[in-house]
Amino acid sequence: MIETRRLSKSYGAVAALREVTFMAAPGRVTGFLGLNGSGKTTTLRLLLGLSRPTSGEARINGRRYHQLRRPLREVGAVLEQGVAHPGLTGRGHLRTQAPLAGASDARVKQVLEYVGLADAARTRTGEYSLGMRQRLAVATALLGEPPVLILDEPANGLDPAGVAWLRGLLRSHAEAGGTVLLSSHLLGELELLVDDVVIIADGEVRLAAPLAELAGEPRLRVRGGDPRLLWEAFGRAGAALEVAEDGATLLVAGMTPEQAGDIALAVQVPIYELTVETVSLEEVFFELAGAR
Amino acid sequence: MIAVLRSELNRTLMIRASWVSIAATIALGLTFGVYSADFWTLFAGIGAFGLAVLTTGQHYQHRTAMLLMLGEPRRWRLLIGQCVAAAVVATVTTALSGLTVADEPAQWRLTVALTPIVAVLGVAVATVVRRPTWAMAGTVGWLLIAEGLLGKLRAPLPFSAYLNAASSEGDSKQLLIFVAWTAVALVAAGAMIRRDMVSH
Repeated sequence: MIETRRLSKSYGAVAALREVTFMAAPGRVTGFLGLNGSGKTTTLRLLLGLSRPTSGEARINGRRYHQLRRPLREVGAVLEQGVAHPGLTGRGHLRTQAPLAGASDARVKQVLEYVGLADAARTRTGEYSLGMRQRLAVATALLGEPPVLILDEPANGLDPAGVAWLRGLLRSHAEAGGTVLLSSHLLGELELLVDDVVIIADGEVRLAAPLAELAGEPRLRVRGGDPRLLWEAFGRAGAALEVAEDGATLLVAGMTPEQAGDIALAVQVPIYELTVETVSLEEVFFELAGAR
Repeated sequence: MIAVLRSELNRTLMIRASWVSIAATIALGLTFGVYSADFWTLFAGIGAFGLAVLTTGQHYQHRTAMLLMLGEPRRWRLLIGQCVAAAVVATVTTALSGLTVADEPAQWRLTVALTPIVAVLGVAVATVVRRPTWAMAGTVGWLLIAEGLLGKLRAPLPFSAYLNAASSEGDSKQLLIFVAWTAVALVAAGAMIRRDMVSH
């Protein structure tokens, strides 16, 4: 469980975060969304004890990060890209982290295989590609087998196969009861992965809700031979109606596609288009984050 | 703290630049010791200080300090762990580099005994400055100008006190001055290590 309560951070007169409050629950993947400079990374750093809040608090499993007895056994973090000494091999890097995470050499070997770096284990990290460095960062986070994962833009640098691999990894971590909090700007990817969404803009949380709630009730987009007749028929059936920008397509709420099709058939109006529309995460994000 | 110590020693032994620096320090120390025990003591101090600055400062240079802080969020414990690791590496290096001053056993013993304090001073300076190049360049400048040219290596300044404590057996006053400087640097490091780790 990750929890922030009225978390604020100022740098001099500049307020980077203002009373940020949200929660990331076990068994769920929480997406932390915001534009560059919105306060995502600052929040994650405060959670991980790398920066000190001006006020408020951040807790992981009920305790502040510095109060965790064996932090790397409880929290795995991916922050920044390629944080490793370039002169160390991938295996060497993990072996320097292993004592801190209470991990054995066998575990080092295991995570290298798990993230797909077994063949590059003896290559210096300075020669790693961006994607390989990101995989190494994930391996570092997983070393202590922590139930909580905090990841800042973990898909950066990964190829499509890597992104799919990461999605599977995080999904199975949450399904096993783990807590996942990840920030990303890849909204399409997030939409496929997250259960809950926290949107931050200008240092303030604009929305914290389950993804399913954001989509709201789906509505139908219906274009037929006689819009006026369809309007009257759908209206009699109790649907809420609007006309789309083109003036010919109806936006119909409170009705299934089957019901709409049956009604059109009953009034003998041909249907040229019948689609189900849901609100995308991207639309919600841009509306709340105030950017287009 | 033990975990930090083990992590730091692993790291030192696995990074080629680190063990090449250690090997070079030993080789140069052995060479200087043939000519003068005092010169060896000076070099051993600079070497121990430099190794400590290098190992600590590199963490900030390559951002791996963040990983250490995630592993040991109580930063004073982290600092102590780094000091102990630097002291172990520096002491072994100094002891081996001084094998050619065997005819001056008292000076060898004193120099080796003072090396852990020099290493702690190096860790403290690197923690405050956070950039190994700046820390070393600043220290060399300080050593040459403030302690050498102005103080003639006799003023109550850290490296002068180290040299005099290591060269003059039983000079407890110089030892106290050196320890006091190191304590001041360590207190400053204890305050500075609490600074935020900001993004790149």
